[in-house]
Amino acid sequence: MSIKIYQELFLRSPDLICGWPGIGRIGILAVDYLRRAIAATEFAEIEPWEFFEPRRVVIQEGLLKRVDFPENKFYYRKFDDRDILLFIGEEQPASGGNLYGAGEKAYRLANLVLDVAEKFGCRRVYTSGAAVTQIHHLLKPRVWAVPNDSDMIAEIRNYENTVLMSEVEDRRGQGMITGLNGLLLGAARKRGIRALCLMGEIPYYLQASPWSYPAASISVLEVLNRMLQIDIDLIPLHEMAKKVNESIEAFLTNLYESDMIPPQIRTQIRDSIEKMKSIRQSSGPITEEDRRLIMEHIDELFKKGEKGDERTS
Amino acid sequence: MKEQVSILFPPDLEEASMIICWQGDPGKLGSLVSKFLLDHLKARIFGEINPEHFFTLAGVIVEDDIAQFPVSRFYAGQRRDIVIFESNQPQIERYRFLSCLLDTGEYYCRVKEIYALGGISTTIAHTSPHRLMVVYNQPELRDKLQQFELVATNWEGPPAVNSYVLWLAQRRNTPAISIWAEVAFYLAGVGDWKAVKSVLSFLDRRFGLGFDFSTIDRQIKLQNEQLVRLREQNPEVDRYIRTLEVGLSLTEEEQLSLNGSVSDFLG
Repeated sequence: MSIKIYQELFLRSPDLICGWPGIGRIGILAVDYLRRAIAATEFAEIEPWEFFEPRRVVIQEGLLKRVDFPENKFYYRKFDDRDILLFIGEEQPASGGNLYGAGEKAYRLANLVLDVAEKFGCRRVYTSGAAVTQIHHLLKPRVWAVPNDSDMIAEIRNYENTVLMSEVEDRRGQGMITGLNGLLLGAARKRGIRALCLMGEIPYYLQASPWSYPAASISVLEVLNRMLQIDIDLIPLHEMAKKVNESIEAFLTNLYESDMIPPQIRTQIRDSIEKMKSIRQSSGPITEEDRRLIMEHIDELFKKGEKGDERTS
Repeated sequence: MKEQVSILFPPDLEEASMIICWQGDPGKLGSLVSKFLLDHLKARIFGEINPEHFFTLAGVIVEDDIAQFPVSRFYAGQRRDIVIFESNQPQIERYRFLSCLLDTGEYYCRVKEIYALGGISTTIAHTSPHRLMVVYNQPELRDKLQQFELVATNWEGPPAVNSYVLWLAQRRNTPAISIWAEVAFYLAGVGDWKAVKSVLSFLDRRFGLGFDFSTIDRQIKLQNEQLVRLREQNPEVDRYIRTLEVGLSLTEEEQLSLNGSVSDFLG
């Protein structure tokens, strides 16, 4: 188990931004988009074999050529004032029957990421994921921000479209961040490293969908743009979000007309989802019964795939 | 490694070749080959990988009326150059399990090369020749094993445990070969004796073991006779097998039907 650093670097008080796959691929999409936008250079990796199963083998004419594992790579980009480090993991580890991003392996991986953060004197570590909530997909997702140190609260309040847990309806400052996004925050706190998780809102009826949810990644990147004092162009991501929204609309139209669901329930589902267009709350305007009905029927229609398990609850 | 491996006594081995047999593979290849090897080489268990780290141990599986339990055992016998590892495939922590396997091979057995065996279920008839497919982890091995009629394979996809072994051995610069015997798919669950013989014949020639195959030949003859009887009784089975014998394929439904009939008859 080791970190392989290909290139020794001198970096000035960098921030480290981490992304993994999870619900709506919100975090990894944001971090990978940022990587491309700032043309970051790969400089290190965490050897994956103790954490992940191999994905693919290549055998040619009887000779074992290659075994591929999920990659876990670090990237850097130097700026005039302060530098940026990125970490992108293609999978969240699981061990001992735990969910993805939980257990001993996930904790070890989180600590290896933090070893790199410490080695390069990182000022702050960011993680990013999904906040599953009652929001309509045509509304702009907010960003739920959870720091691991109260020193960051005042700064967070200054950012637009960003809420603390205490500002989320009915949360009263409480919640839970599962997966590596949460674990990294905790492990960083243990080491005295400031860390912040930025979670883009995703409608709960899309949490099992096979699509990425770029609308939430955009909200996360808008916050990162301001926090990191960079200015990346988000237009291509807006175009992607538009296409995804068209797919969601088509999916919901099919759902509202599906013969697999009794007409009365279809109407109830449509009314419940449509109500969310006009108002944003975590409890209401729809009832828990509405919510249950929607999830029961939508889950049947989505083909569920393997994905990381990151969410707030 | 200490807590994961129990060594009963240090084996008297020198530059050994390790033969890896997995239980539960198609054609019961691993368990039938290992049983033959252990009997004929008078091999004794000298160590094992402890199961609690690598198997969920959530109850036991019952097979043929008998409660089973995962085993991962090392054996050595009359030949100082052969060590046999017989095991269920690990359910969790494959990397650590296979590292323990290779560590034990290096430390206690001075393993110089590895042969990982497996059965591969294909749409051949039981009466057809059963080829041996091969994967090497070093190009030099191809020349070394040229005299054997091994078929070089191409594959891109999820790795089987043997490919994982080869990759780990490659990282340690240990030569390793996986040998895949073709198994008639309808004998995958009940045992394919012809496939077993093809693997044992390879090992016999490779290591000059001088095996007497009369017991295996009897099993092949018995299995063939049983299948002749089934073909006489069941014209559909006969038609399906004849189709395979002339190199044509069956539909998925026909394959399921043939598999079910053979398993019921022989099982």
